[in-house]
This record gives sequence, structure tokens and C-alpha cells, in this order.
Amino acid sequence: MLRHLARRLAGALIALLCVTTLAFFATALAPGSPASVLLGNMATPERVAAVSRQLGLDKPLPTRYLLWLEQTAQGNLGTSNLSFQPVADLLGAALPVTLELAFLSLALSVLVAFPAGLLLAQHRQRMWTRPAMAAITLGVSVPGFWVGLILIVAFAVKLRLLPSGGYVAFSRDPLANLRHMVLPTVSLAIYLAPALVRFVRVAAQTVLREEYIDTARSKGISSARVLLHHVAPNTLVVTLTYIGLQLGVLISGAIVIEVIFALPGIGRLGMSAVLNRDYPVIQGVVLVAATAYVAVNFLVDIAYGLIDPRIRAH
Amino acid sequence: MLPYLIRRHPVPVALVSAFLLAAAFGPWLAPGSMTETDLSAALLGPGGGHLLGTDSLGRDVLSRLLGSARVAAEAFVIVVLIGGVAGTVMGTLAGGIGGLPDMVISRIIDAVQGFPTILVAIVIVALLKPSLTNAMTAVGIAAIPDFARVSRSIAIQLRDREFIQAVRGLGASEIGILWTEVLPNMIGPLIVVASFDGAQAIMWEAALSFLGLGVQPPSPSFGSMLREAQDYLSIQPWLAVVSGMAVSAVILGLNLLGDALSDYCELAGA
Repeated sequence: MLRHLARRLAGALIALLCVTTLAFFATALAPGSPASVLLGNMATPERVAAVSRQLGLDKPLPTRYLLWLEQTAQGNLGTSNLSFQPVADLLGAALPVTLELAFLSLALSVLVAFPAGLLLAQHRQRMWTRPAMAAITLGVSVPGFWVGLILIVAFAVKLRLLPSGGYVAFSRDPLANLRHMVLPTVSLAIYLAPALVRFVRVAAQTVLREEYIDTARSKGISSARVLLHHVAPNTLVVTLTYIGLQLGVLISGAIVIEVIFALPGIGRLGMSAVLNRDYPVIQGVVLVAATAYVAVNFLVDIAYGLIDPRIRAH
Repeated sequence: MLPYLIRRHPVPVALVSAFLLAAAFGPWLAPGSMTETDLSAALLGPGGGHLLGTDSLGRDVLSRLLGSARVAAEAFVIVVLIGGVAGTVMGTLAGGIGGLPDMVISRIIDAVQGFPTILVAIVIVALLKPSLTNAMTAVGIAAIPDFARVSRSIAIQLRDREFIQAVRGLGASEIGILWTEVLPNMIGPLIVVASFDGAQAIMWEAALSFLGLGVQPPSPSFGSMLREAQDYLSIQPWLAVVSGMAVSAVILGLNLLGDALSDYCELAGA
């Protein structure tokens, strides 16, 4: 187990290094020096040179990269060119919003898709099987952010049941927080749930073909019990890895959904930074999102190894 | 193959044909101009002089949707060119040669697999500028693993088959064998991957242009139309409804075609 852990940790650290490099070069190679962006219309060649020296931009690229790594490791991510606030503060304020959105939609997706996938695997010839599979193909093909727009029309504009956007912190008003999160959560779940149902269905069908399922059945255990006690746990293990692989989809989807529903999360912060060329913030957003991606994949790997001893041997 | 598809899977064939027709002949089929504005006829519903209504600047929605189909087709081509060519070359080399190249390429594929596409798009657009090509380059990179994994597994299956050994015995080089014998045998499965990844490409074009990272106004695209429609959800929701249905129909058609083609490949024993 220790060797498995060590190898995974090494892999995660290498991935993290690649990711930080990506984040650094996203800004270091950007056109227009940060100094002239900072100075705006007060920029003269002398001033740009002075500010560049002050920011350490006159040093060679590898030196700057090492300095940047050192600063980043200490949690110093620079200041926004736009609001002049520390990037770490901006990210700190935005992160809880994104985490809440991601957690809620992941929970919703799993709660709906896992039982649905199991049922579709168990009952392959029912009347509702074909329409259900067609609905899933439709779900995979519909852009989640469009569903978000349609939900706004239906529930915010026409029915006036839920807010069309904005955010209230859970600590300030739990009920208002949840009301604001309903539509974004459902829209983001559209990115994950249909593909998850498909995956669970195939995974459960594979388990259903195993001999121990026949054995259980021949002992007279009801199919519902077999599904719950034998098929479900074994399917869950594979599903966990699949969810780890879908994390990129979750992060990408969350960014789009935050923009639509005006949620002040990492995604909206990043998008306004890109459109305003606020490079320190872009760097911070890429860094946080990519680190989250690497970290969660690492945790999934570890969890998978803990649940299934066969993995450790490889 | 085509008669089989038309007979057994008419829905995807119809959807994809309509998309291809719109992409190829959109400018000639369009009833009006894609960019000409007419503020006196803004935000009209469907019917009347404009079959699918007009947007906030009075531009004909049907004409803009036809233009969007062409942009979506360009997105498809960029993604399949980048992902398909790079992925197939990497996968075929890895599977066909094995050993160290296989290990290195497989590691790279594992690393790229699943990484959030949008972060790559943000980095590329931040370095360069928002445009269809820049945004879709990110999606193309994300598509590399799909093509690589399929071509790698086929190359491994074929590597030691008798007909390959026969060619090898005749003195053909390994790279030559991959090109003339292995590659032609993976066309079918690669078309299946292209169909699914093409659907993804169009979904991404819509999302990235919606965010302002892709196609820039006043050019029409499914994403930029939805972005404009968002401002008028309470006045003219029809705009968002019809643009979203159009892009969903294209994606659905490609996904269903992918399913149909993979069934066909299985039947044909490829």
C-alpha cells in the first residue's frame, strides 16, 4: 500500500509542477508587458523600465519562474491589475461559491444517476427502457448552459419561483442561499448525470454477468436484494474512478454555469480576468482549478486503492 | 454503408445531412443577411416576414443560424484535424512500435486525458486573443487522447497478425507497414471517434463563444447567438429557445450517428 501511495504521490507532484508551469507561462508569455498594463496611459519607456525592474521582470525567464514558484508556495499570488486587491483574497472569496456549486451538482448527479443506471441495467426489456435511453442520449447532446437559460425563462421569468441569478452566502441566509443554488445546480448536473447513467448501466451490466450473481440468485435471494447488496457496491467502485475522470467536465461546466447565473465563483472571476487581460488573476484561477483537478484525482486514486486491493498490486 | 444507415438510422442521417447542407450552402439558402441590422424590426417572434424571427438588432435569426452551422462545421474540422491527426499518429506509433515510445506516449495521453478543456482554452486565449481557431485548438488538444487510445489498441491488435508478418517478411519498413497496412484498417473506428468528438467540438464551440472566448460579434455562431439571447430572456425567450434547439439538434445528430456507425463497425467485424 505504501508503495502504491508513494508512486501516486510522485505522479501527482509531477502533474502539479506541469500545471504551475502552465499557469506561469500563461502570463509570462502574454503580449504587452504587465508593467505597461499597470501604468496604463501614464506609461513612458522610462517608467515601464522602472516598474519592470520593481516587479523583477528584467530578470531572465527561468529565474522569474523560480521566484514565482517561491512566492506562490508562500501563498503570494500578486495583485489584480484591475481591482488592485491581492489575488489570493479574490480567490479565497470565490472558492467557497464554486465548491458549493460543484458539490451540490455532483451530489445531485450521483443520487439520480446511480439508481437510474442500476435500474436500467436490471430491466433491459421493459416498456420504459427505450424511451429512457433515448432521453439519456438527448441529455448528453443538450448543452448544459442552454438548459440553464431555459430554466431561467421557466422558473424565474414565467413562474417567478426562483431567482435568475446572484448569490447569498450560506452563513448569512441558508434558505436564500439554497434558493439561489437550485437552478445552477440542476444546470451543472445536466453536464454530468446523463453520461453517468450510461456509465453506471454498462458497469452494472458487467457485474450482473459475474458468476457470483448467479450463485446469489440460485440461493433464492430476491433480485432487489441482489441488486442492492451485490451489484450496487461493486458498481460503485468503478463509478468512483469514472467520476474522477469527469472532474474536468465538472470544472469546465461550473465556469460556464457561474457566468450564466452571475455566481461570484472562480469561473466568473477567471472569465472577467481573461476578457480584461488581468494576468495575475488568470494565473491564480488556472493555478487553483488545475491544482484542484490534480488533488482530487490523487484522492480518487488513493480511495480506489483502499476499496479495491487488486489495484495496489499493479 | 450509406444505404444501411439511411434504412436503419434515418434520424441521425437526416439531422447530420441538414447540418452539412446548412454548413455548405448556408449563405445561399439564407433568406436575409446575417449581419445587416434593422432596428425597426428588432426582437420579432417567429412567422411573418422572418420565419424564425429577428434578434435584438433586427437581424434574421434563420439566416444567422445557417451562418452558425458553417462556424460549427469549421469548429468540427479544426478539432478533428488537431485531435485526429496528432492522436492517430501518436496512438499508431505507440501501439505499432511498443516499448519505450509506447510508454512515453501513453503517459502523455494519461496526463492530457480529462484535464479541464476550459483551462487550456483560457490559457491559449489569454496568450493570443479570442477567436474560433484559438478556442478550438484547446478542444482539439483535449480530443487527442480519444483518437490515440483507439488507434493504439487497433495497432496492438494488428501488429502480429499474419498479413502484417507477410509484408514484414517481404522487407517493408515498420513505419511503412503502419502507413500502408495498419492505418487503413482503423479508418472505421476513427470515424466513430470523429463523430462523437465532432459533437463535443460543436458543444464546446457554443460554450466558448458564449463565454466570449471564441467567435466574436457580429459574426454569428450558436454560442454568440445564445450570449446575445441571454440579455432578452424576459422580453423574447424565443431567441434562446430556437438557437439552443438548433445546436442541440446538430449535436444529437452527430452523437446518434456515432452510435449507429459503431453498431455498423461491429456488424462488419472491424
